[in-house]
Amino acid sequence: MEKQQFDFIGKSFDIKNIGKATGKEIYTCDVNIPGQLYAVVLRSPFPHAEIKKIDYSQAEKMGAICISGDDVPDILYNERIVSIPEKTYRDRTVLPKDKVRHVGEAVAACAAETEEEAFMALKKIKVEWGKKWRPLINLDKAMDPDALQIYDHVYLGEERVDINNNIACERNVDVGDIEEGFKEADEIVERTFSTQRVYHMQMETKSAVCVPEADGGITVWTTSQGIHNVRILLGNIFNIPLSKVNVKRTTLGGSFGSSIQMNSITPICVALALKAKRSVKLVTTREEDIYDHSKYPLKTILKIGAKKDGTLTAAHCRVWVEIGGHNIQAYPYLGCVAGWFASLYKWKNLKYEGTAVYTNKVPSCAMQGYGNPQINFAVESLIDILAEKLDMDPIEIRLKNYVGKGDEFWGQGPTVRSIIRSCGVEEMLIEGSKLAGWDKRTLPSKKKGDIRRGIGVARGFHTSGTGGPNPGEVIDYSGATIKINEDGSVDVLTALMDHGGGTWDAGAKVVAEVLKVPYSKVSIYSGVDTRTTVFDVNTHATRGVYCGCGAIKYVAEKVKEILLNYAATLFKDLPENLELTCNEELGQAVICPRGIPQNYMTLGEIAEHAHITSWGTIAHTATLRQKNCPPCFITHFVEVEVNTKTGEIKVPRAVIMGDSGTIINPDLWEGQIIGAFSRGLGFSLLEETKYDLNNGKLECNGMITDYKIPTTIDMPKVGSITVRSAHTYEPTGPFGAKGMGEAALSSVGSAVAIAIYNAIGIRFYELPITPEKVLKALKEKEGR
Amino acid sequence: MKKIEIEFTINGKKRRLSVKPNDLLINIIRNDLFLTGSKYGCGIGECGACTVLLNGEPVLSCLTLAATVDGKEITTIEGLAIGDELHPMQKAFLKNGAVQCGFCTPGMILTATALLKENPNSTEDEIRDYMRGNLCRCTGYIQIVKAIKSCENNLETS
Amino acid sequence: MSTNTKILTQEFEYFAPKTLEETLGLLCKYKDKNTKILAGGTDLLVKMKTINLNVDYLINIKDISELNFINTDGGLKIGAAVPLSHIERVGKVKEKYPALYEGIKSMAAIAIRNMATIPGNICNASPAGDTIPPLIVYSAELKLVSKRGERTVQVEDFITGVGKTIIKADELVTQVNIPEINNNSGSAFSKKSRVKADIAKINLAIWLERDGNFCKYCKIVLGSVFIKAVRAKKAEDLLREQIVNDDLFIKVAKKASEEIKPIDDVRSIAEYRTDLAQVMVEDSLKLAWGRAGGEL
Repeated sequence: MEKQQFDFIGKSFDIKNIGKATGKEIYTCDVNIPGQLYAVVLRSPFPHAEIKKIDYSQAEKMGAICISGDDVPDILYNERIVSIPEKTYRDRTVLPKDKVRHVGEAVAACAAETEEEAFMALKKIKVEWGKKWRPLINLDKAMDPDALQIYDHVYLGEERVDINNNIACERNVDVGDIEEGFKEADEIVERTFSTQRVYHMQMETKSAVCVPEADGGITVWTTSQGIHNVRILLGNIFNIPLSKVNVKRTTLGGSFGSSIQMNSITPICVALALKAKRSVKLVTTREEDIYDHSKYPLKTILKIGAKKDGTLTAAHCRVWVEIGGHNIQAYPYLGCVAGWFASLYKWKNLKYEGTAVYTNKVPSCAMQGYGNPQINFAVESLIDILAEKLDMDPIEIRLKNYVGKGDEFWGQGPTVRSIIRSCGVEEMLIEGSKLAGWDKRTLPSKKKGDIRRGIGVARGFHTSGTGGPNPGEVIDYSGATIKINEDGSVDVLTALMDHGGGTWDAGAKVVAEVLKVPYSKVSIYSGVDTRTTVFDVNTHATRGVYCGCGAIKYVAEKVKEILLNYAATLFKDLPENLELTCNEELGQAVICPRGIPQNYMTLGEIAEHAHITSWGTIAHTATLRQKNCPPCFITHFVEVEVNTKTGEIKVPRAVIMGDSGTIINPDLWEGQIIGAFSRGLGFSLLEETKYDLNNGKLECNGMITDYKIPTTIDMPKVGSITVRSAHTYEPTGPFGAKGMGEAALSSVGSAVAIAIYNAIGIRFYELPITPEKVLKALKEKEGR
Repeated sequence: MKKIEIEFTINGKKRRLSVKPNDLLINIIRNDLFLTGSKYGCGIGECGACTVLLNGEPVLSCLTLAATVDGKEITTIEGLAIGDELHPMQKAFLKNGAVQCGFCTPGMILTATALLKENPNSTEDEIRDYMRGNLCRCTGYIQIVKAIKSCENNLETS
Repeated sequence: MSTNTKILTQEFEYFAPKTLEETLGLLCKYKDKNTKILAGGTDLLVKMKTINLNVDYLINIKDISELNFINTDGGLKIGAAVPLSHIERVGKVKEKYPALYEGIKSMAAIAIRNMATIPGNICNASPAGDTIPPLIVYSAELKLVSKRGERTVQVEDFITGVGKTIIKADELVTQVNIPEINNNSGSAFSKKSRVKADIAKINLAIWLERDGNFCKYCKIVLGSVFIKAVRAKKAEDLLREQIVNDDLFIKVAKKASEEIKPIDDVRSIAEYRTDLAQVMVEDSLKLAWGRAGGEL
């Protein structure tokens, strides 16, 4: 399809974030209700222990409202309801009733007039602990047949599932016959890779404010990527009709996946408010937050085979993930990992076996990529090894085998597949290699000196949404109400969330583009909740632009139809004879009969006419399910400098190529890619939440003094990071757009590890690659 | 605990408050004065989200006792714009795509204004160094550094 | 999990004396209680929040004018309430005491340095304190004052262990004195950390005095490798009054790395610290030697 000329798409408008630059933006932690109580949470110091009794009478004597496991409903739930019910594992209650399964698990909570009073009261809560067990920290120990059971049974949908060997769930996929495939191979390589637990470290800690309403309902503000799911969950847990649960859409201070599920503190805040019959505000501390969620770690044994010419013949992928003390989304996670693995290259024959295991650690959940950066590290590292064995250029082997246009892409595991219609992989590899100076790359054996430079390439992708031709295991639809106001400005009411990546900005531009209304007159940023919006599943799976804005565009086009029909009566013409354009001088959308521009009416005039003649509001409400899941692609060329005396790694330069189809928000698109690069560097070189094997506590003790993320200086300089877009157009996306968010992180770790190999000739199979590990490996290699 | 009477200037306005010795400046600013632009990010001086200017210098309000600001001058993010006219640093952040989730932005902008006041011709390395205590998880900093660089020699207009 | 870093719930009495005299009076009066000095508060408040450090009386010395001075006549004299950022901006510090300048600049970030002080860093007595190795190599001393009188103590002798110093409950560190440096000397600071705004995995300072191609005198102090910053005295002995060359520096560096007793902790591991001590001492010796006008 031809690239279109746009009035608003692809342009940047400075006003979009004005509230954030002036301190006026209201995040959940900034919401204050007159007369609110402040809540704090008592958390377990033990990794695995029986709760015999919780006595909060002393705290109550201090005037606090308290809750423990006995005060919360007996409803077993899963805080993430993105998957369909029969594929959703349920293993938790609002507060645990029998035992705790990780250090930091909430066991009780109290609310008082001030946070100080609440905290003093909290210290008076007495927990009588029963049996205490040594924590199961390591995957292998947790799977040992003699290991203590963290759960006896859980529920999958309505079905009871017994848990054995702490295995939370398993997922296997076969395509073709790998035995035959490996027989055809001239070269077979196999390695074991592992990635670590990483903390999201979104700047805003999880928060909630709950107002119990006079009619028995509740109004809730909370850090969430999807307010409707929070509404449904709270209604189910507290047995309140959904018409009486209203969740406000509030700006998020970052999330990176940690609020796809309803935050663990949200129902705690609600339970307190319902008991107190007063408004309650609960803002967690950083140390509580780091004990609340984590990226999924992954251990992978990967074996791949290829012919002499580099054609792949088979792949066998075995993965294990330890998920911590609750199963938030391990089953879909294992499916997605299968999908990311299956969709990177044409393996021809593949076998995938995935196992998720409970441990006594912080529950793992999605974190930018949902397994993609983890499996990408294994696949791209092994492809690099294979290329070396076959004496092929790493770019050539990728060009030969990548999954591209016309091929099938698994956007959300084996049940959500669609055919790729836009693909910039070839362009990105070739143009990127030119920008990065790939032809000047030398082999590790040629490097000399204390400081050795290396360059690595890796490619990745992510899905845009979770839609397929047929609905799979994941719920995916969005919606909006769009109305033209009496002055011709436009309100967009959508539950679609924005993490800061510009989803709302994109939504506003899509509406402006369809209705030709100036961007500044489209309002999307504030003032909606679950009561005023139709369902939107969540801003996850890089679906904001493709699915969320796809639905917004669909509704905007309906509004345009209504508008033109109404205008047609005013012009006494047929709607198809009318033309809708943006008149920049007037700062208005205008409608005129085709070819007679002077005979125009502004949108304001038309809307006013509809108003004063009591015709009604030009508006429409609808939801839309996207029926594809187009991959957005990314390619990282990363240069590293390894100091062989200290093991330190610097990243002086990077070229990053992205393929999002049409780019709706250019500055934020680039910002997303660079931001993901910094998180990727943290993931590759720095970050890990390590546990004490004896007491199950985090080594950092919850304090970010000892959980470091990259700072300004740890990034390349402004001119040393090049971001370019492929020239593609996604025919199924709004104005040709696909996503970007999660794709941008998927191949950072792989490219860094490959670049390190190119610099010093040492492969690393475990992340993060710290100076300590590098120096040790260098010493071993050189016999120092 | 005995309360302490303090008087200070915040965003150009004199305020007189009665505080407890253990009241933290961040909580007074956010909960008592309703200036919620200053954010709690870690409480232990590691992230910079609570940065305010104390007598023109960036400090961390999460590690400052309210009692100690008696007689001093505080600027929060709400005090940077003059009327509807944004401070050049605010404009630069918006123009350069330096704002994503926005939670670090107030502290970032305040620190950046102090830098350029101290050294209007900062090099890129000096900017990177000065800003290293303000953590941002969204942007990867590049557009923030660009924004600050674009603001050089431009602050006098404020 | 019994912390809440959003608030401070400990109750204490707060004083903001305007004079030194008044401060010493308070210290004397409350010497048998948990009395703490608030200078920057960047360590104190963190400890009160995270490890529930008990404080009954808190004395804020930030606004005492007698403690807010930097005197550059004959060495450096720095008042106890001067924030680190003000010290790093003094030209003489950068020119004559580069190890101190670099040590301060390496600390945390500007907002912390606008609050924190040198006596605060020293009294906190962390093995990783970044001002401590530089102050020891420059033979800095602390002036300790109480109602009973005053005394001066070398920084090197002041700290006795992790969080432990010889200060008495009624004493206040009022100033840091650093002797004048002669022109034939050179110094350097080096630090490795996970990111740039961070506590050291290992830090060190070196000062040496040159006489032609002889090293007349030297001090090598390493931090975060023992319960307190330590002098590598055997390494110093190897270097003192010797003709300097690359090989000697390598030997000295190796010796220094053998003298330290690092441990594994959350920031790094003993083996790495030992390896890095050698690399960093060698590099810093070269740098300091060059700064002293020496050639190799």
